[in-house]
Amino acid sequence: MRTDPDLAADAVRGNEAAFAELVRRHQARVRGMARRLTGSASSGDDIAQATFLTAWQKIATYAGGTFSAWICAICWREFLQVRRKTRPEIEFDETAEIIPFGAQGSRPSDQQDDRMDLSRALEKLTEAQRVCVVMCVAAGLTHREAAEATGWPLGTVKSHVLRGVEALRKHLAKPEVA
Amino acid sequence: MREEDTFQDLSSLFAAEDRELEAKPFVDEVMGKVRRRALIRRGVLLAVGGIGAVVAALQLPGLLGEWVTLDSTVTNTISSAQQQAGLLANADPLWLGIVAVVGLCVAAVTTLERT
Repeated sequence: MRTDPDLAADAVRGNEAAFAELVRRHQARVRGMARRLTGSASSGDDIAQATFLTAWQKIATYAGGTFSAWICAICWREFLQVRRKTRPEIEFDETAEIIPFGAQGSRPSDQQDDRMDLSRALEKLTEAQRVCVVMCVAAGLTHREAAEATGWPLGTVKSHVLRGVEALRKHLAKPEVA
Repeated sequence: MREEDTFQDLSSLFAAEDRELEAKPFVDEVMGKVRRRALIRRGVLLAVGGIGAVVAALQLPGLLGEWVTLDSTVTNTISSAQQQAGLLANADPLWLGIVAVVGLCVAAVTTLERT
């Protein structure tokens, strides 16, 4: 199987099939990340699409390394752009404690399974914790990659992940998440 | 143990959720947009290139006219130089020898410099 850097090198030369393979490989991770950041499937997929279109335009800037970290960093920037357009008055503050963010009304309410519990438990986290948990736990980025993508200090990311995971476990352990 | 290993169970839960997402429609949509953008880019480039080619073609008659004038000037200069060289040779053949030696030297220097 061809590696991500090989496919990216082909995509730089304009090979659309190679880029399509990259999209196929990473779409679940990116869509999952965008959906969890926005709290909405449709907004998340829009951001994921914008992420891959930006990646296609800037594929020449991919300088090797983990492709998933590179694409997730783009996804994070796309998310921030959309967020600034919709809520320009609020600047992102990674030190903020509780910011209601996920409830946008478009999440289906009939999915009563683990997925729902996971989503609800994520909503209970602070925004910074949610971002770090989504990147490191759900998208599989290392702490360092998440710190580079967000521009936050490594220690801050580690601390948010640690607390976020703790809180997530606590919420998931409860029989009924309000 | 890596720090990331402490939440492997949660990562598996998220991964299971992500695996349920259907890839094909999403990939098709993204690649459709990529192709559309490439098509638009190609169209714009062709249109701009075409306009440039037409503008360049419109300049050709003027350019060719200038070239013809230049050509006749060069021809006149060469023929007059030939006449003057002939007159000079008739007056004193030694000049022809000097010109030949200078020409050979210049040719030798030029050849050596290229290699």
